[in-house]
Amino acid sequence: MSSQDSVHTLYSEHHGWLHNWLRSKLGNAADAADLAQDTFVRLLQRRDQLQLNTPRAFLRTVARGLVIDHWRREELARAYCEALSHLPEAQAPSAETRELLLELLERIARMLDGLKPKVRRAFLLAQCEGLSHKAIAEQMGISLRSVERYIADALYHCYQLRYEDEL
Amino acid sequence: MSAAQPSATVVKQAIQWMLRLRESGPDQRLQRKCEQWREAHPEHERAWQRVLSLHQDLDLRAIPGAGLALHTLETSERRLHRRQALKLLGGAALIGSASWLSKDLQLLTDWRSDYSTGTGERRSVTLPDGSLLQLNTRSAADLAFDARQRLIRLNHGELMLTCSDAQANGRPLLVQTRDALLEGVNGRFTVRQRDDCTQVSVSAGQVALHGAGSSALHWLDSGQHWSIDAHGPRVVEQPDMDAAAWADGLIVTGNMRLADFVAEVARYRPGFLSCSDDVADLRLSGVYRLADTDALLELLPQTLPVRLHQRTRWWVRLERAA
Repeated sequence: MSSQDSVHTLYSEHHGWLHNWLRSKLGNAADAADLAQDTFVRLLQRRDQLQLNTPRAFLRTVARGLVIDHWRREELARAYCEALSHLPEAQAPSAETRELLLELLERIARMLDGLKPKVRRAFLLAQCEGLSHKAIAEQMGISLRSVERYIADALYHCYQLRYEDEL
Repeated sequence: MSAAQPSATVVKQAIQWMLRLRESGPDQRLQRKCEQWREAHPEHERAWQRVLSLHQDLDLRAIPGAGLALHTLETSERRLHRRQALKLLGGAALIGSASWLSKDLQLLTDWRSDYSTGTGERRSVTLPDGSLLQLNTRSAADLAFDARQRLIRLNHGELMLTCSDAQANGRPLLVQTRDALLEGVNGRFTVRQRDDCTQVSVSAGQVALHGAGSSALHWLDSGQHWSIDAHGPRVVEQPDMDAAAWADGLIVTGNMRLADFVAEVARYRPGFLSCSDDVADLRLSGVYRLADTDALLELLPQTLPVRLHQRTRWWVRLERAA
């Protein structure tokens, strides 16, 4: 059975169930329909054969990732809008700039997904604020050695994600 | 190709070099040592280039408006974790997620739109009536097809519509923007929502422009370009670019100001692209491919007295060549 056929079978047998599952997570039928669709699109793009022993667990795993992406976008936009609301009007970036920055933040947030909070924070202090390792160590109350290790770990983590397709 | 991949050990070494150089500030001795390490083996150089490029992509300091980045990333991460814990791992607590968001913000609209595109993306959709809707980069549109009308709302960005009456059933085909209500009679036209106006270019056929009052109706003919704002519609005699070329993946300019060209190219790439005042009024005519805007920019110094100043992959500025 080709990969395309198996996605088709999955679709006809489990689409309704997946839609309901997503709906219970999102509380919104339109988003649930979109993400159910995206889940199957994602499966069609896979090059390898599908593992069909436990199709629902499998679908749930893919869909869960999409739900988290969806929420991440929402939370980023929400936090960003709040931060903007504290700025004086004159300093507020243009709509265009906001959109670009948000897009960039999403890319970075996705990349940093899975890092330990301290590793993530040390890395962001360096990348966003341009703080020196020493300043980061002081601000976080940890040793310089730890800061160096955290930042190197975070970069290596991003490196693997960025280049994993080519490995 | 796997033989060409730097090993984990070498990548980690490259990261160490990069961080040491960044921390030390200008230090020629350290720079020389790093260069020696890079030259010692091609694998070292490959790893170095990749780490450098990655580091530039993740460097938020150079980007205007990034002051809010740290706060935004940290706050959203905390909330995301809470939501995951609540809804995915734990119980059945349900909160309508959409109601958390203020819907009036323009930057949120694409997530609510029926069709949208990201930066550099183009999308074609065959509509239920057989018409072809094409969305240009960073655009969003809603569809409202019912028994009375076939309405497309352009929320932002640009679309091209190739009209079809196959399933019209007497319903008008309408495109609504902030400034105008357009009716495609036949043929093909592009509509672009700009900050201060709506631009319409008719490639073939005819478009009717419905005025704010019921009486005013303008006919926009094939080959014409119009601009519509609060003061009403006016014909644009000599546009400086081909309004429909993007559908073929091109920018085609005729005596266009460099500053306008740069603003145009910026729509298709993430990050910030700008030019200095002393080159803004240079003019250019030509055909440029949108598929690779990096390559497009690199072509410019060959025909204009400009150079690319690239601080990161996402921060590029055109300046006068020395």
